[in-house]
Amino acid sequence: MTKKYTYSIFILLCCLLLSSIASAQQINYVKGKVIDKKDRQPIIGASVTIVDKDRRVMKGVSTDIDGNYSLPVNDKTYRIMVSYIGYKSTAPLAIDKAVINFQLESADNQMEEVQIVSRAKTDNGSGMSIDKRDQTSAVGTINAKELEDMQAASIDQALQGRLAGLDIAASSGDPGAPMQIRIRGTSSINGAVDPLIVVDGMPYDITIPSDFNFATSDENNYGQLLNIAPSDIKDISVLKDAAATAVWGSRAANGVLVINTKRGVLGPPNMSYNFKGSYSKQPSAIPMLTGNQYSSLILEEFYNAGRQFATSDFAKQFQYDRNDPYNYYNYSNNTNWLESITRIGYLQDHNLSISGGGEKAKYRASVNYFNQNGTTVGTSLGRLSARVNLDYTVSTKIRFSADIAYTHIDNKNLYPSGSRDANVRDVAYTKMPNQAVYEYDEYGNITSNYFSPATTAQGGFVYDFANSRVLGTYNPLAMALAASNQQLGERIIPKFSLQYQIIPDKLRLNANFQADINNTKVKKFLPQVATGRPFSEAAVNYAGDSDGDSFTMATNITLAYTPTLGKNHDLIAFARFDSNDSRRTGQGMFATNTASSFLADPSIDGRTNQTGSAYSSFSQSRSVGLLVSAQYKFMDRYIVNGGVRGDGNSKFGPNNRYGLFPSASVLWRISGEPFMKNTTKYIDNLALRASYGVVGNAPRNDYSYFNTYQNYGFSYLGSSGVYPSNIELSDLRWEKVTQSNVGLTVVLLKNSLNMDIDVYRKRTTDLFYNGIAIPTYNGYSGVDMNVGTMDNQGWEFSLFYTPLKSKKLRIDVNFNISHNVNMIREISPLVPRENNARITTNNAFKVYLQENNPFGSFYGFKFKGVYADKNSTIALDENGNQIVGPNGQQIFMRFAYPSIDYVFQPGDAMYEDINHDGNIDYKDIVYLGNGNPNLTGGFGTAITFNGNLRLGANFTYRTGYQIINGTKINTTSMYGFNNQSTAVLRRWRAEGDITDIPRATYATGYNFLGSDRYVEDGSYLRLRSITLKYDFSKNLLRRIGVRGLSANIMMENILTFTKYTGQDPEVPVKLSTFSTVVDNSTTPPIKTITLGLTANF
Amino acid sequence: MKKIIYSAAVVMVLIMSSSCKKWLDTQPRDGITRQGFWKTKEDIQAAVAGCYASLLAPPPGVNERSLIENIFVFGEIRADMIDPGPGALNDETDIFNVNITQSNSLSRWNAFYRTINFCNTVIDNAPSVREIDPTLSVEQLNAYLSEVLTLRSLMYFYLVKSYRDVPLKLTATTKDTDLQDLPKTSAAAILTQIVNDLKKAEAGAVTTFGNTVTDKGRVTKFTVNSVLADVYLWMDNYEGCIQECNKVINSQRFALQSAASSWYFNVFFNGSSIETVFEFNNKSSVSSPLFNALGRSPKRFLASSYLGSDVFIPDDVDPTRFYDIREEAFYRGSDLAVVKWGTDAVTFINWQVYRISDLMLMKAEALAETSRGAEALALIEEIRLKRGAVVATSQTVDPGDKDAISDYILAERAREFAFEGKRWYDLLRIAKRDNYKRLDLLLNIVAQTVNPALQQSAITKFRDVNSHYFPIHEAELFADPQLVQNPFYTK
Repeated sequence: MTKKYTYSIFILLCCLLLSSIASAQQINYVKGKVIDKKDRQPIIGASVTIVDKDRRVMKGVSTDIDGNYSLPVNDKTYRIMVSYIGYKSTAPLAIDKAVINFQLESADNQMEEVQIVSRAKTDNGSGMSIDKRDQTSAVGTINAKELEDMQAASIDQALQGRLAGLDIAASSGDPGAPMQIRIRGTSSINGAVDPLIVVDGMPYDITIPSDFNFATSDENNYGQLLNIAPSDIKDISVLKDAAATAVWGSRAANGVLVINTKRGVLGPPNMSYNFKGSYSKQPSAIPMLTGNQYSSLILEEFYNAGRQFATSDFAKQFQYDRNDPYNYYNYSNNTNWLESITRIGYLQDHNLSISGGGEKAKYRASVNYFNQNGTTVGTSLGRLSARVNLDYTVSTKIRFSADIAYTHIDNKNLYPSGSRDANVRDVAYTKMPNQAVYEYDEYGNITSNYFSPATTAQGGFVYDFANSRVLGTYNPLAMALAASNQQLGERIIPKFSLQYQIIPDKLRLNANFQADINNTKVKKFLPQVATGRPFSEAAVNYAGDSDGDSFTMATNITLAYTPTLGKNHDLIAFARFDSNDSRRTGQGMFATNTASSFLADPSIDGRTNQTGSAYSSFSQSRSVGLLVSAQYKFMDRYIVNGGVRGDGNSKFGPNNRYGLFPSASVLWRISGEPFMKNTTKYIDNLALRASYGVVGNAPRNDYSYFNTYQNYGFSYLGSSGVYPSNIELSDLRWEKVTQSNVGLTVVLLKNSLNMDIDVYRKRTTDLFYNGIAIPTYNGYSGVDMNVGTMDNQGWEFSLFYTPLKSKKLRIDVNFNISHNVNMIREISPLVPRENNARITTNNAFKVYLQENNPFGSFYGFKFKGVYADKNSTIALDENGNQIVGPNGQQIFMRFAYPSIDYVFQPGDAMYEDINHDGNIDYKDIVYLGNGNPNLTGGFGTAITFNGNLRLGANFTYRTGYQIINGTKINTTSMYGFNNQSTAVLRRWRAEGDITDIPRATYATGYNFLGSDRYVEDGSYLRLRSITLKYDFSKNLLRRIGVRGLSANIMMENILTFTKYTGQDPEVPVKLSTFSTVVDNSTTPPIKTITLGLTANF
Repeated sequence: MKKIIYSAAVVMVLIMSSSCKKWLDTQPRDGITRQGFWKTKEDIQAAVAGCYASLLAPPPGVNERSLIENIFVFGEIRADMIDPGPGALNDETDIFNVNITQSNSLSRWNAFYRTINFCNTVIDNAPSVREIDPTLSVEQLNAYLSEVLTLRSLMYFYLVKSYRDVPLKLTATTKDTDLQDLPKTSAAAILTQIVNDLKKAEAGAVTTFGNTVTDKGRVTKFTVNSVLADVYLWMDNYEGCIQECNKVINSQRFALQSAASSWYFNVFFNGSSIETVFEFNNKSSVSSPLFNALGRSPKRFLASSYLGSDVFIPDDVDPTRFYDIREEAFYRGSDLAVVKWGTDAVTFINWQVYRISDLMLMKAEALAETSRGAEALALIEEIRLKRGAVVATSQTVDPGDKDAISDYILAERAREFAFEGKRWYDLLRIAKRDNYKRLDLLLNIVAQTVNPALQQSAITKFRDVNSHYFPIHEAELFADPQLVQNPFYTK
């Protein structure tokens, strides 16, 4: 198919060339002289070119020392023109005589003042560019000017809080950690949820396909893929409603982020160097117990739980017994584990670019080096990227461009880096503080060995091979430094495009071809010194090496037709064909029990070979799309846009492979109506927009419509076993996202005040649900199905205002706010209606799925404090009278009678007995909160003094949602051997103590049931960044021979205003049916100071 | 100009028409599609091997307990020979304490039905291979079918013993459009189905595959007889049971090994000994499926502490010379660790399903019930002699006292099949006989296993005979509204 397509292009090109090199005629010569118009001196080296009627260069020559030239003329239709740097080029002249002299006019002759009114064009990335004011759909854009001031390491960081309806949240502070990007909420539960990223008109993958099996980690780790240097970006647009995203078809169901990179512009070479350096620091964490405080807490936990501590194997770790010197020295410390793995983070970013061009060719090339050392030891990110954008104008009809982008990445992560792993910072937090970092010998001398015992009271390191995840506990410093997890990536994206004016200014053909070669390598090693486990275990000296290579070919052809229909009619008709072919191969191997902690390569045979120690995978997906759309404008007031897109995708079976998705939108420019004539002084644009569109979403997995037989990883009695691995999904259909949007655009006060209001509803029908439970007597426990309908509805408002604009002072203000509600409208009865949390177990919250109710509400008990003494545990009825048993005996408060039937003791957490039956059970749970923010957004201001000093501040906020403070649960539960926060120092200890922290009990009791004790208002307002930028004055620059020089300083995450007592209220909301927003973060976001310097030569 | 428009049109048409359909048909390269499978007899062999492999471990990517662990848990932890260890999960402790609810994750039957589905896939598809592959003989096809029919019957038998009434699915699940809800089928109907299937299998099964290891690891005619004997015994069909046991015992292919020091090594560690009729062959395939439960520290399960005083009683005269060879081979007295299935993560010990001693004791049980107590006692003595059973564990029983013989057999089975996933079923089988005449057997174990605070309630629960069977897990009830919960768990 692609071959065919290439051929066709070739044929097309041949046709075009032939048609223009048609009839040759008699040979003739033209000669003349080129002089300066002012001083009448000859111009040496001016280029004289013979061009054809489309301005294609046929022949060219430079003038000699006397300014003379001579050229052969092959065709009488040819014209002649002259250009020279510093002079204005002449218009092409017909060659009507043999001698033609030219007088060139100097270019620095000033024109009289001309007022240029330019209107921004927005681009949905497709090549169909439409005046921004004529845009009928919801699109938000950030332009180059604003981007210049953003000094963030990556684009997603820079975009946080900038555009209405765009929600970005950080997943962690480690270098290379991905951001979660959502446009207008999440429209799919199990389908793809990330927006489509379009770079220079072609889709750009930012996620590792799910079929890449990196053996030992989940896909979250490899999100560092949007690696375009921010300084290479010209503008970024967010396409929100279906009418805008319709162009991009099935992959655009979650919105589109369109990024255009900078290209060369006409002019002399312009070199630019940009430097960014930053310093970041982990803010102080929650204070934790010291070793001594911890040891006494553990003893108390055991005593309260009625356990004999002395008989336990681990007692010696808490005995501080000098007669047992080895244990005494190694378990009598006051270690601050977190401090031991934390350091100051640095970042440097150098970007060098050169751009320029002449009439015919324009170029821009840039190279970028980025290096970051994270604030946790053992983490770093190095990135080298280069980009070349070339444009060549063959003639007024044909233009082509070739772009190549290359990126190399070297990302060092911590070994346990998956979202389900026991990661290093969490382990460091809860690690027993009386344990030594480095081992002491029995004479009390510290050695250079990490102290990694196989097990401690807290347990040991466990590697869960079935789920490829790290559990348990370990020496965090040993893990951070000795274990390795390195990701290496190479990505090359060549792109070629051709633009051909079939009928000049009327019919335009644009063809693009892009290949995307993306190779990722992951090397991991888990040495014995990091875990301390005995050699008989497979997780010891566990080396892995895997590769994932993806190769994507994308093409598109667009045909745009813009006929001239008179003054009152404008029409753009547009057809586009897309194809996409993506192949992914993965290979990997791992070996366990290699001979030493320093033999980290799996090709060295280990002692044991686990099942599946070598594997490979291959998958391929293809899609095609054909779009036909048109925009018609009448009288500059009424605009109608409509289109239909047909999509085909190889992920569906033959019956459901194709989908047809219409979209339509209208705009009524009220300000253009005659009755609004009086208002033109202050209203520049008032337009009402409405749009409706359907976009299809394809599932994530390939080949699901086949019943596939796979190999068992081992053989049975020498014959290898094969089994049917899945249910054939012959019924899987497109998930459809239907979006309606009504919006109002207001531009007032000479374009200084821009406002957009949008109200939308995004309805997902035939919602995908992965692994919906089916009775397991079928042999499988789940099947993927289209099960229901889900809505995302809400509104957005954004405002850009420039209240003051003078030479001395300019003030810009922007503000955006959005509201989104996500709810299930209808869903198959097979979908479970409540989560499987058991409310009678600690740390469990109940979540229900209810039709027509927003997602994310959670339920639990009401916490009322701590039972101070025995009397307070007496059960009371609703009138406050004591409840008496059938024999007149006193009844004490019970928990979950009759199944658990625990009698509350003094010092236990007190929960509200809602129904006053003296029994705390599921009948006493109440609504506690909802994790979805009511309002999100950001605002910012920029003040410019004298045109060269600029002060900017950006704020982001979220309000109206509740967070479960997971950190608080984990650091005050006093239930096991994990270290706790200093808050537990005020725990209940003796009869009569009045406190809010219950008593410590080892592995018993119900002191941290899901209750409102841990539920907090997560609303916050954060000063995301503050920037100061100074452009050095022209006078100074002229003296040092620099064209432009500016310096800036930016501070990030300086201030957060919140009532939330946890570390950071910015928690990524991961939407699934039963997700609750749990904040397990142990440190607030990293504070960073960045220095930047930009110089142009 | 016309030429250009024309060529552009040609390009568009080319693209549109150039069989997008074909272009979008991508075929997976990892694995074979059903359409590409079932072409030769080797395909059937691979699929049958897949059924066996599923006994050892769930398929790659499925993260569940292995079938062996399920059998172990179902057969042991409700009975009295296993105690919860320090690492026992809450769901496991609940079962020890007879506090089972329908949300207990251990009551999931996934592993059994997965193997059943693999067997069904072979039963549905294998016969059509004969039309394509002429080298596949009828005998060979029937031999393959007999193997999977027996495996399926064995799985259903485990389900019936554990849940009583379960859904009976005899066809393979292949497509999402074929899924349908099934009601429960009564235990009696399933047992009838099992008996019929096994009779069919007996006709097609081979007596030998040509080498000893395969004969033990795959289903032979004697495996079919053994399962059938066990099923008959469960159904109280004593004559049938004796008949099937005799088929195996009289075949002269199996015998008890002498009580030499290499007995454990031959029968368990090495496996495929002359004692074994059928085992799940684990050799060099999957390292210890029970390591997580029994080996890894902190251990989830330990041997019951009363074993040393009640089951493997030391010889009171000279314990170093006279001792039961089974005791030290099965568990370690010092820390009560179960060592029968290995203690290291990387051990390959075959899971024993039927040994000749099992057939002998089944026969003895049937003989006792049909008033041939003397013969039964002779069989018990034969085993005791070979195992070096000490005087302290011998019982003097009146050959006419059925119950006493049953008790003796039960005691001997406890020693012979300790930790083999049989104990609970042995107790239940004898307890339920004659309308739960021996319910006391189950009530008596409560004292050994249940937390003292919960013993009374456990005894009350065990008096309701429905409680002897597992609940259907709530997820199944949710997914299939036709399923009806065991009435005990709906109270």
